[in-house]
Amino acid sequence: MRTKNQKIRDFVLSAISVIVLIALWCAVSTSKPDFFPTPMATIERLVKLFEKPIMKVSIWGHIFASLKRVLFAIGASIIIGVGLGLIMGWNKKVRAAIYPIIMTLRPIPPIAWIPLIILLFGVGEFPKVLLVFIGSVFPILLNTISAVSMVDDMYLKVGKVYKANTWQTLHHIVFPASMPTILAGIKIAISSGWMVVVAAEMLASKSGLGFLITRGRDSYDVALIMVAMILIGIVGAALSIVFSFIERRLCGWMSS
Amino acid sequence: MGNQDEKTTSKVANSILIETAARKRERKQLLIISLVCIFLFFGIWEIAVRLNWIDGKYLCAPSAVIKTFMTKLSDPKPDGAVLGIHIITSLKLVLIGYIAAIIIGVPLGLLMGYYHTFDKLVSPIFEIIRPIPPIAWIPLSIIWLGVGTAAKCFIIFLAAFVPCVINSYTGVKLTPPVLVNVAKTCGATRWEIFSTVCVHYAMPLTFTGIQVSLGNAWSTLVASELVSATAGLGYMIQQGRSLVRPDIILVGMLTIGILGAIFTTLLSKLENKVVKWRAKS
Repeated sequence: MRTKNQKIRDFVLSAISVIVLIALWCAVSTSKPDFFPTPMATIERLVKLFEKPIMKVSIWGHIFASLKRVLFAIGASIIIGVGLGLIMGWNKKVRAAIYPIIMTLRPIPPIAWIPLIILLFGVGEFPKVLLVFIGSVFPILLNTISAVSMVDDMYLKVGKVYKANTWQTLHHIVFPASMPTILAGIKIAISSGWMVVVAAEMLASKSGLGFLITRGRDSYDVALIMVAMILIGIVGAALSIVFSFIERRLCGWMSS
Repeated sequence: MGNQDEKTTSKVANSILIETAARKRERKQLLIISLVCIFLFFGIWEIAVRLNWIDGKYLCAPSAVIKTFMTKLSDPKPDGAVLGIHIITSLKLVLIGYIAAIIIGVPLGLLMGYYHTFDKLVSPIFEIIRPIPPIAWIPLSIIWLGVGTAAKCFIIFLAAFVPCVINSYTGVKLTPPVLVNVAKTCGATRWEIFSTVCVHYAMPLTFTGIQVSLGNAWSTLVASELVSATAGLGYMIQQGRSLVRPDIILVGMLTIGILGAIFTTLLSKLENKVVKWRAKS
């Protein structure tokens, strides 16, 4: 247990570090405000962004556009990744059939798919969702496969003793037992998906937080770049906090 | 009685033999399934393009990819450099950023894990910067550092830096108190405990972080070259897109994938060498 004094000391230390960071920001930015907007200019830009929409889309609209792409893609990744992963982890023949193809595709970073996907599907909504899907499906799929193939043999034998059929075994034994690992995979997928959506929007988009960065660069509005980066950081952190909450809800027995 | 015993042993031995034979047969069967499926995958792809189910303008056949790969080894057209130059350009960037991230990130994480005051001072800054994807730094780093090598290395550094810090930090934090207490009983100073007990205990986890970093660095490289470059693998696939040459894009993707896989393998080999004492589970 930490004593009250130590807690106060920790808080003071953290406060000092944040203050130093802001002071440094001020010091650097006042000498070169064109290169590096001051904290005040950044906040002003943020307030202006709330009042004046960019490309006829309000700031909430841009945040929502990015979120929508990520959530759609993560939803598809969960359905396909967990479904396929369960089958591949359970059945050796299916795994032998599909695993080599997945292993061929996996080392290609999702961002390297961008030019090909744009060439094939243009710059609409679908290619962006597809890119985020490519970025998020592998961690979910691989975690599910390894979780399912590592389910304790004892549990499976208990199922056999009680004459569970295949569906019952998968539903009542294998799936719950692999839940923590699957959720860990989804967590990785969310952060990787968030990164890919920013990249995809930076390269070809008319809405979303990644687009705001490109917009800021094209119009030499450095404050806008900073605002977009901060928002991307906040939304990304919020996504992972929300998911941790869901994880604790679904898998309460793990945290104890 | 002795005869009976012998009989049972030979029966057991027989059943074991039968089982291993069955396992061997199964493994062979699975291998055949794998090979057939991968051939089917590429075969269907090839046929789909040949029969014009997919427009050859947007996706080319695997055979065409291999052909372009061979010509790209010596022909700088149409994207301005031979494949070797692209690879070397990309490798140089990744190595600079990656090594800088290891040199700064690992000691930082180790120190943060051990010295509480240092941790409390540094971690707020780290936590503010961490959630911003490295790709989002690209425009800002171009404005600060120009379009040259420095900006790209900086982005790769950012991508590789975070896992290095987090894993070495966690490694030190997980050191069992028993080990620390033994060292204390033997009269070790704080620095000695840190450098001999904690750092060693954190090594396997640190290595995992270094491996994750490599993946991050490699995929971020592509992003940074997509945005601004004059050579490199990311630049090559971007050029393939503007020239509508799917074969160039696929050659680039293939090279990126193969090199990434090679690095991962090399690093895990190195890991087994360096972290020998790790218990194999």
